[in-house]
Amino acid sequence: MREPLSIRATTYTLLALFVLMVAIPLFWMVTTALKSNKDLYEDFSYLPRRPTFEHFVRVIQREDLLTNIRNSFVVASTTTVVTVFVSAFAAFSIVRYRYRGREWVGRLILFKYLLPTAMLFVPLYAIVVALGLGNTLTSLILTYLSFMVPFCTWMLMGYFRSIPPELEEHAMVDGCTKIGALFRILLPLSAPGIVASAIFSFTLSWNEFLLALVFTSDHTTMTVPIKLSMMVVGDQYIWGQLMAGAVLASVPITILYFLGQRFVVQGLAAGAVKG
Amino acid sequence: MGLLAPTVLILLGLVLYPFFYAIWLAFSDKAVGSAGRYVGFRNFAYVIAWPQFSAAVFNTVIFTFSAVALKFVLGMSVALVLNQRIRGRNFFRAFLLLPWVMPAFVVYLVWRWLYDPLSGLINYALIDLGLVASPIAFLSDRSTAMPSVVVAHVWRNFPFYAISFLAGMQTISQELYDSAQVDGASRAQQFRYITLPGLYQIIGVVLLLTTIQTANAFEPVYLLTGGGPSDATMVYTMLVYVMGMVNLRLGEAAAVSTLFLPLLVGLVLAVTVLLHRKANA
Repeated sequence: MREPLSIRATTYTLLALFVLMVAIPLFWMVTTALKSNKDLYEDFSYLPRRPTFEHFVRVIQREDLLTNIRNSFVVASTTTVVTVFVSAFAAFSIVRYRYRGREWVGRLILFKYLLPTAMLFVPLYAIVVALGLGNTLTSLILTYLSFMVPFCTWMLMGYFRSIPPELEEHAMVDGCTKIGALFRILLPLSAPGIVASAIFSFTLSWNEFLLALVFTSDHTTMTVPIKLSMMVVGDQYIWGQLMAGAVLASVPITILYFLGQRFVVQGLAAGAVKG
Repeated sequence: MGLLAPTVLILLGLVLYPFFYAIWLAFSDKAVGSAGRYVGFRNFAYVIAWPQFSAAVFNTVIFTFSAVALKFVLGMSVALVLNQRIRGRNFFRAFLLLPWVMPAFVVYLVWRWLYDPLSGLINYALIDLGLVASPIAFLSDRSTAMPSVVVAHVWRNFPFYAISFLAGMQTISQELYDSAQVDGASRAQQFRYITLPGLYQIIGVVLLLTTIQTANAFEPVYLLTGGGPSDATMVYTMLVYVMGMVNLRLGEAAAVSTLFLPLLVGLVLAVTVLLHRKANA
């Protein structure tokens, strides 16, 4: 059935409005990063007159953003690797073994999901300081695990439940250990769930703001979000460099997301529906 | 079991322990570097009497309700448009998802720059279009600060609503719409009697999760206004941060977050009740 013209006109008008609404801030971020300071502050123009990479060079050389990018990368990738292993073990144990207290772990995971970070950051800060981990990347990795592991365990439980246990039992009859069956049967079959967990952990750790702000206090341990937010208060004419930094911080995450989009959507569905 | 040990350790050490520690802190005079003593309800009495606290309660409620309502309306409109037979739908779906894919801190820094009173795009555009005569200080004027923060937050978060609703719409059978059309139902009636009922469950889950997230938002306020001007955008997360990390009064900071627990539970209950009533209406 063909849509009436009025409906199609409304649809495309609204679509155009939505596209503009999303595009303008993105356009402003990218063009600001490419404008000279003259185009930005003295003689305003909507488009960069002489596109230049000077802000990218300066944010890397003068602000040493590469150190912070490296910090973010170390924190996000360590958190991701540890999360995937710990969550896979936990989900495997909860789904495939029967023992008392099992359901309590499930409840605690849900409790964590509803508990705001804003309630936890003050005590977590006190704990981090007491452990002598103040101002270290380790403190970030440790605390990020406390929200990645529950979330990914929940998601992987959904995946593991959808795989018939007979497959592992067959493997064990053939002489495979229970853990061997986890690595050889369950994990490969839940690959989309593993990829989704990894993307979630990496993205959330890369973007995390509040704990990183509270735990790290100098340039050498700051992650990218904190470094950029500190630059705002520094210099009046910092926007070119800030937007260059913003572009650098968004590109890896955006690429990762679009590469893994299929898995992320599947993962969410598995965790939400089957979990 | 051994396999579960790391997870249990993380849950006990980094979730349950800090949770109870927060409640203990709220009843103590702990400061950084000193052991705290039990002080009864002193922190609570102090915090409640403070004008900043009532400002935070008010602002958190206003921010949460207006942001959730706007995200809902915008997300639903985007989902409805993307659910039509349009050319290049996959491209537009991916493109309209971009604000949500980008890191939140990046989005708020970009919006801070968009709102800039001296060289920001919004002020240049408004002046060039002849809509205003002089630049508006969006983030430092009491009357515009909160709406500006809400707009930036809505821009970043509406795609989550849109993709969730769109996914729900695609599970609704086309036959229902076809037969409604044969019976002469208008577009609005089709939306009211087919689309909305088909989405109730998804709407419920989305509203529940995002109400909690919105009430706990920290980045938009911290990165755009820092809670100012004169507490006009001071939400509770920002107040906890200022008290604990700037003033280093851990006991009072913990008291604020403990006092907000019932409010958060209340918000969640309100959403649940609202949905229940809608579903039965």
